[in-house]
Amino acid sequence: MSEIQAQNFISAVAPHEIAAPLVSDSAVGGQYIAKIVSLITIVVFVLAWWLATENHLVAPLFLPSPSEVWRQFVAVFSNGYADASLWAHISASLLRIATAGAIAFVLGVPIGILMGLSPWIKGVFDPPIEFYWPLPPLAYLPLMIIWLGIGETSKITLLALAMFAPICLAAQAGVRSASREHVNACLSLGANQWQLFRHLILPSALPEILTGTRIAVGVGWSTLVAAELIAATRGIGFMIMSASHFLATDVVFMGIGLVALLAFSFSYGLRHLEKILVPWKGRT
Amino acid sequence: MLQVENISVYFSGKRGNFIHALDRVSLEIAKGEIVVALGASGCGKSTLLNAIAGFLPIRQGSIKLNGKLVNKAGSDRGVVFQKDTLLPWKSVIDNVALGLIFAGLTKTEARNRARALLDLVGLTEFADQAPYELSGGMRQRVGLARSLATDPSILLMDEPFGALDSLTREQMQELLISVWRRTGKTIFLITHSIEEALCLGTRIIVMSPRPGRIIARYNADFIRQYIGGMDWSSIRKGPSFNSLREELRDLIHKTEIVQATPQKAFANV
Repeated sequence: MSEIQAQNFISAVAPHEIAAPLVSDSAVGGQYIAKIVSLITIVVFVLAWWLATENHLVAPLFLPSPSEVWRQFVAVFSNGYADASLWAHISASLLRIATAGAIAFVLGVPIGILMGLSPWIKGVFDPPIEFYWPLPPLAYLPLMIIWLGIGETSKITLLALAMFAPICLAAQAGVRSASREHVNACLSLGANQWQLFRHLILPSALPEILTGTRIAVGVGWSTLVAAELIAATRGIGFMIMSASHFLATDVVFMGIGLVALLAFSFSYGLRHLEKILVPWKGRT
Repeated sequence: MLQVENISVYFSGKRGNFIHALDRVSLEIAKGEIVVALGASGCGKSTLLNAIAGFLPIRQGSIKLNGKLVNKAGSDRGVVFQKDTLLPWKSVIDNVALGLIFAGLTKTEARNRARALLDLVGLTEFADQAPYELSGGMRQRVGLARSLATDPSILLMDEPFGALDSLTREQMQELLISVWRRTGKTIFLITHSIEEALCLGTRIIVMSPRPGRIIARYNADFIRQYIGGMDWSSIRKGPSFNSLREELRDLIHKTEIVQATPQKAFANV
């Protein structure tokens, strides 16, 4: 926070005194710098990792070398892991997250919207959501297994529950984001309640719903791996857990990298979707 | 015809203080008039407009439009706000067509009529753009076209050109005059610019702050002189224009001095 403020202060007060050639006082210039620094950070990080393993500063059991992880990736990619191909593991995870995400979205958006519109419905749904939402999903995973068994149902229910809350809460906040002036303008154009909802309230809620969905997908990935740690035979989480039993640290690394990559692509894809669906965001 | 009879409006302010916004205001606006409300900020001009628009509950007095009691917002009163309230997810033409869609027209029909209105405000070639791609003045034109689409009995304009630069403002005033000529719309317009009131009003009412009252009413015919063929510079040089301007200035200045606290007066220096 204070760093950001300090940066703003510097760029606002003395843009000409910072003589770096890349520095421009526009926001675009700022993003450019952040991207380059991020890239440098990644390179330095991988380099430090490579140097540490190359010089045997850390045992391979704790920290396998980058090349070892890559070799393991190629091996698992071509031969599979634990009687299943890499793609089978990935698709098992993707299927779980997609199913749970769809359930969470289909239930969360309308319930959230209704909660935002009606104090009665808010009164009904608020206590259960406020109760379970702050709980870590792993805390109620045992309950899911007792109730629903060790199959897919308990995993998908757990994921759907974890993803439901952020979407529902975002939709609830979103329906209140239309301004009084816009509501008045539509009313004096003759809108009835349904038209007001359809043409004003719903589109104004869309940016928040999409942000909530993006957060939900992040929550989904972190919950997914946890859910697959228990009683699964497929999935990236299972792969990581199983590899750790055999002290195959390189496979653990590979699994973590895979989750990170998938989660990042989902987040990136949703950001892109936001640009397509709500091009007006931040421009009014 | 609009009849405002003896309305008083009170509400509680941000710090819980009691605000007497309008005090027994009566006003009649006949068909085809442009009534301009003039006054210092905080004199209840906007409250009066919001009451007519149906955005406020009326507890004392009554407002009737063509004999019908006003108690909520409706498409018989078109509103143009100071800050545009266009929907950013709809194109310019769909924003103009919005009231027609609300009225139950098909999309094609609504768009056809909206296109004619875009022609009227000179934005034909911007039909398919997004509102945020347009300049402030253009957005106000879209807002004007949008409120005309439902063919309201009266157009309520709340400092519609207040946020625009002076050049754009003059263009918008010209546009409003030409729209009035062609449609004969009844207009109630709020402004704090004396010049604007003189150029646009067929009638000018002056309001005083806290509680808001109408303290003076004038007839003006400068807009008719302009439409009759005189140019603005000779109208502005005329004795009646100047004497009315001075009179309005004195009147508003007086109400401001009553209102201004020493700190406020200092801040204006």
